[in-house]
Amino acid sequence: MEEQIAEMALKIAALEEAAGGGGGAATTNTVFAETFYYLTIPLMIIIHAGFLAYEMGASRLKNVLSSGVKNILAFAFIIPTFYFFGWWVYFGFPTGWDFAEGPNGISGAAFANSIAWGWGESAQYMGPNIADNISGVFFGAFALFAATTASIMSGAVIERIQTVGFVILAVILGSFAWVVAAAWGWHADGWLVQDYGLHDFGAAGLVHAVAGFFALGVLINLGPRIGKFNADGSANHIAGHNMPLTVVGLMLIIVGFWGFLMACVVPPGEAWSWFPDKFSTIYGTPITLSALSFNILMGVAGGIIGSWVLTRDPFWMMSGALAGIISVASGLDIYYPALAFIIAFSAGLLLKPLANILERMGIDDAVGAVTVHGTIGLYGLVMLGVFASGFPALQGAAGEAPTISLMGQLVGAGVFFLLGFVPGYVCSLILRILGMLRIPEGAEIVGMDRVKVPAEGYPEGIPAPGVVLNPAE
Amino acid sequence: MGFPYDEASWSAVDGAMFMGSGTTMPGMYTAIAAGICVLVLIYGQASEMRKARQFD
Repeated sequence: MEEQIAEMALKIAALEEAAGGGGGAATTNTVFAETFYYLTIPLMIIIHAGFLAYEMGASRLKNVLSSGVKNILAFAFIIPTFYFFGWWVYFGFPTGWDFAEGPNGISGAAFANSIAWGWGESAQYMGPNIADNISGVFFGAFALFAATTASIMSGAVIERIQTVGFVILAVILGSFAWVVAAAWGWHADGWLVQDYGLHDFGAAGLVHAVAGFFALGVLINLGPRIGKFNADGSANHIAGHNMPLTVVGLMLIIVGFWGFLMACVVPPGEAWSWFPDKFSTIYGTPITLSALSFNILMGVAGGIIGSWVLTRDPFWMMSGALAGIISVASGLDIYYPALAFIIAFSAGLLLKPLANILERMGIDDAVGAVTVHGTIGLYGLVMLGVFASGFPALQGAAGEAPTISLMGQLVGAGVFFLLGFVPGYVCSLILRILGMLRIPEGAEIVGMDRVKVPAEGYPEGIPAPGVVLNPAE
Repeated sequence: MGFPYDEASWSAVDGAMFMGSGTTMPGMYTAIAAGICVLVLIYGQASEMRKARQFD
């Protein structure tokens, strides 16, 4: 009995030591930091749920399920391909095509080989490991960024693209093209960051613009839907079958964006953190969750109001909300909220006229993805150069760390445009030559669901609204 | 105190960290943002009523 009491007393003492001493605090911090990142993953899956609803609502009845299948498959193929090679690209590419190690020592082919392949010694960091709680959580967050890029492209190409051709394009975009952009412009060793002071905290350029202009490259080769344009070049509006579903989908994307932007923040106090005691951006510059909260909300509001002025259309208003966030995403860490509102308002105003210009050029972007993500993404990147020149782009003192400049942001914008557009155009051209890009005309006319999906979206049909004669009905 | 552009280091900042802090710019931005809201509502009301009257 006395032995048992003594043993219990020792256990209690050990527990008290753990709870009150440094070990307990460290454990608490580690658990918090890992959980912080882990929670961004399901939040970002809400982005995908939103894009799914948005695309299906924007499709006509005859294509509603095939649009859903395409979007779901993009997610499913991005995850393993990002595991196979996308994660390696992020760590291998930062310094450019020489794959050398950067100044922070966390990049280059040798480093990537040691942590990001699913075989050999590096496999220990690519699977369950009792001594490594964080690699899989980081991987998951980045894989969901990748899935977001594929979803952005997915909406633009609905109602006429082949499923396998689309999946191949999604993998090239999600597991390679945007990852190169992230390595160059997001990674602390990235040459755009080190040499040009590029600052793109919330990935307006390296996720949104790359995905938007990748979609543009694909759309040029894919061509418009049958009936979109008349012989004289004028455009017809092809309405989706369910506007409320589309608008709710857009709102879900906004919800998921909180997870997306949360994943752009680095919690403190861990071996992989920039600071022992404060949150930082991925560049190691300080940020607070308060800054995110102020500026995301003001960005959403400004974008909605700007779009409402010119359109009064809930689809464009919610697209304006997205555009509002994207237009201020690069500088969510340092914008003053009222300035974020003004920039987002201007993005909301610009949105529809820019989409109209694209349509007049003969581009059938079914959901406005090129404009919302591509053009507004670059607009946001450049706006940060206008307003934030002189701020540190990276952790460190003057002379050691680059500062934000308009020229640096313009260079980044040009690089991200090319990183999106060129692979999108070239790869879709190859697929078109191989006959893997566009569905045959007859199948497009009859509807892709009858060709691709052994199910019906609305087997009992959608009741047609009757003529309301009595206003009280 | 505004952002120390000469030093351009976050180690010299221990308070407000946004663009224009310590200057008149935040007030101006706030005034412009508030003005946008008011003007948009005025414009929205006028244009909506103009459209609604077509159905009178």
